[in-house]
Amino acid sequence: MDVELKICRYDPEKDTSPYFQELAVSIEGNRTVLDALLLAWEQDPTLSFRRSCRSAICGSCAIVINGQPALACQTLIGKAAANGGILTLGPLSHFRQLKDLVVDLEPLFDSLKAAVPWLLLSDQYSGRMDPDAVGKIENPATCILCGICQADLGEAEIKPAGVVKALRFALDPRDTLGAHRLRLLQLPPEVLRLFIKQLPRSCPKGIDIFSAPV
Amino acid sequence: MKSHEVLIIGGGLAGLMAALNASGSTDVAVLSKVYPTRSHSGAAQGGFNAVLHEDDSIEAHIFDTVKGSDYLGDQDAIEVLCSDGPQVIFELEKMGVLWTRAPDGAIAQRSLGGAGFPRACFAADFSGHVVLHTLYEQLLKRGVKVYSEWHLLELIVDEGRVSGAVVYDFANARVEIIRTKQVVLATGGYGRAFAKTTNAHANTGDGMAIAYRAGAVLSDMEFVQFHPTTLYGTNILISEAARGEGGYLRNAEGERFMARYAPAKMELAPRDVVARAIFKEIKEGRGLEGHYVHLDLTHLGEALVADRLPQVRDLAIRYAGVDPVTAPMPIEPAQHYSMGGVRTDTSGVTTLPGLLAAGEVANVSVHGANRLGGNSLLETVVFGRRAGRKAAELARETSYRGFSREAAKRVLEPWNALLSASPAENPKGDSTFAVRREMSTLMNNQVGVFRTETELENAVAGIGLLKERYLRLSRPAGAQPFNYALMDFFEVGYLLDLCEIIARGALARTESRGAHFRLDYPERDDLNWLDHTFARRGRAGPEFSRGIVAITSHKPQQRGY
Repeated sequence: MDVELKICRYDPEKDTSPYFQELAVSIEGNRTVLDALLLAWEQDPTLSFRRSCRSAICGSCAIVINGQPALACQTLIGKAAANGGILTLGPLSHFRQLKDLVVDLEPLFDSLKAAVPWLLLSDQYSGRMDPDAVGKIENPATCILCGICQADLGEAEIKPAGVVKALRFALDPRDTLGAHRLRLLQLPPEVLRLFIKQLPRSCPKGIDIFSAPV
Repeated sequence: MKSHEVLIIGGGLAGLMAALNASGSTDVAVLSKVYPTRSHSGAAQGGFNAVLHEDDSIEAHIFDTVKGSDYLGDQDAIEVLCSDGPQVIFELEKMGVLWTRAPDGAIAQRSLGGAGFPRACFAADFSGHVVLHTLYEQLLKRGVKVYSEWHLLELIVDEGRVSGAVVYDFANARVEIIRTKQVVLATGGYGRAFAKTTNAHANTGDGMAIAYRAGAVLSDMEFVQFHPTTLYGTNILISEAARGEGGYLRNAEGERFMARYAPAKMELAPRDVVARAIFKEIKEGRGLEGHYVHLDLTHLGEALVADRLPQVRDLAIRYAGVDPVTAPMPIEPAQHYSMGGVRTDTSGVTTLPGLLAAGEVANVSVHGANRLGGNSLLETVVFGRRAGRKAAELARETSYRGFSREAAKRVLEPWNALLSASPAENPKGDSTFAVRREMSTLMNNQVGVFRTETELENAVAGIGLLKERYLRLSRPAGAQPFNYALMDFFEVGYLLDLCEIIARGALARTESRGAHFRLDYPERDDLNWLDHTFARRGRAGPEFSRGIVAITSHKPQQRGY
């Protein structure tokens, strides 16, 4: 199908403010928005956007597609361009735009640090783990640090990458702090509960921490 | 000028493991073209082989690996891989890796191809992802400096020793020198040399090509692994774990055709055997729509697929429109892994002083002519750990080389000229995109699973022409941040160097061994070819020589499955 891409362009060296560039590509509906961007890039090699794995595991290609933050490699053209074949592509909202679709990720990665994001191994750990306990942590452990939930939350004070990490360790029976980690986050419980409730809506990995001890 | 005693290039499993093991006693930094958690190690699904069960043995793991390698693996290195394995698995567990558990709470293990015992430790089918993120957590804990989205451009060699690196700060469009005592390369493979690959866009062989240009020896580059099961069309990886958990391969007639090729191991024969079988079925008219075969999990039940293969299910639904619980997946083989790489010893030390390497970029060689599933993840952590320790040890014995202002300027000048030049027009009708597309199509069609002299000769000639065209392309100059066109230009240059070495190595090797299959020389030839292929940069391109294969306890035998 023929798709019209409206891509947010911004080069801090040249542009005073972002603007939209229109590029037309011809692409099959079962391909992805990332594939469309790669075609657009051949038309204009100055276009910048992050990508790597193209299978929704590296978290590089999070952008805003028709107003919704999403992974470009996980979004099929047929669905995204269903309304009139127009795709509006912008940088992840609530992040600083560095160039075109590339945003500043340092705050996202920095926000992890406040959560003490590593296992504090308990000396009670015997080397065995209940398979069901592992099953519960598997889901939050699939976080790919893409930043989509943070873009979706907007200006909230919550730093979701660290929160998901804290919840993952709070559920880990090997961890010395365990559920105490939630207090270290210094978030009102209602804010945390609301975050947990809303997360599955935006998370491209379907993280759903219903079992968290909040 | 920045200085780090040990500079790790690459933030995947091998690089992070090296960084953790070098840190503490030395000043270590990691430089990575993507944020470390974006590294392609994270896409690995199946598992890490290690002997944990009392009915299994290190000796059995060694033998499976030697046989899987078609006797080209160095047995002293394989002994290290298999012996270090269990300890590293437990170390990772204590760092927080979420291994899937057996009902009694012990680390669960699954079967992967070519193994005589279920010995792959795994985290559902997110094994690489879970370990990568755990190592990243440990990196934060230790406060190791990370240069994310910085690219290695050149290794600076001073009087025969690596003394620094020219690096490109992608976000700020600047080049600079990092002075260093030891460099550890952990930059992974070159999958993007092939049109059909499971590899990420970032896997462009940077480290291998830069090490080669700096004078290091590459080894066994003609051995390229094609993964049997990738989604037809997109070549997104469907883990060998899908067969390890009981999946069947079927042709258009619904037949489990592996019975004809590997009656004992069936779907769990090594990857080279299964990939050839699939292509043979398709070639002989038993493919679906003439192009693919089926990977059938429909008899496994929804509970098992949801529990053990959630990512596989997700990928198949999204990218192929097929729920593997209810319908078979269309699959075809595609390039997946490089057995060859920068030649190292079992401590990761290369032939170039000051340079170490570990993981897919390296050839130590534990995989020989064909890698077994579950052994590459193990290799990253075992040899990443060893290389990190060795680099720290060597750094303590080394002092920084001096860099005069003039010397630094001389090194940086060509790179700065590239960044500040104004964009020029390409020769009519040509572009980096065109060269890249033709290169990867050529490699796919003529240096693929089945090889012949004629096709390889054509490939060598074709790559030569592409290299000439590449030299005439305009440099996508410009000092703008995140200049992906410039990065692409560099990457195609790396890939062309490696393609030449792969194709020429494949042309020279007149036998069939592991993943290197010559239709015109279909037998293994131990008399003439039980040797490593070494490639070193010469004046007019690569110069080839041979290396001895370390054989300790397993004399070559016929390899049947």
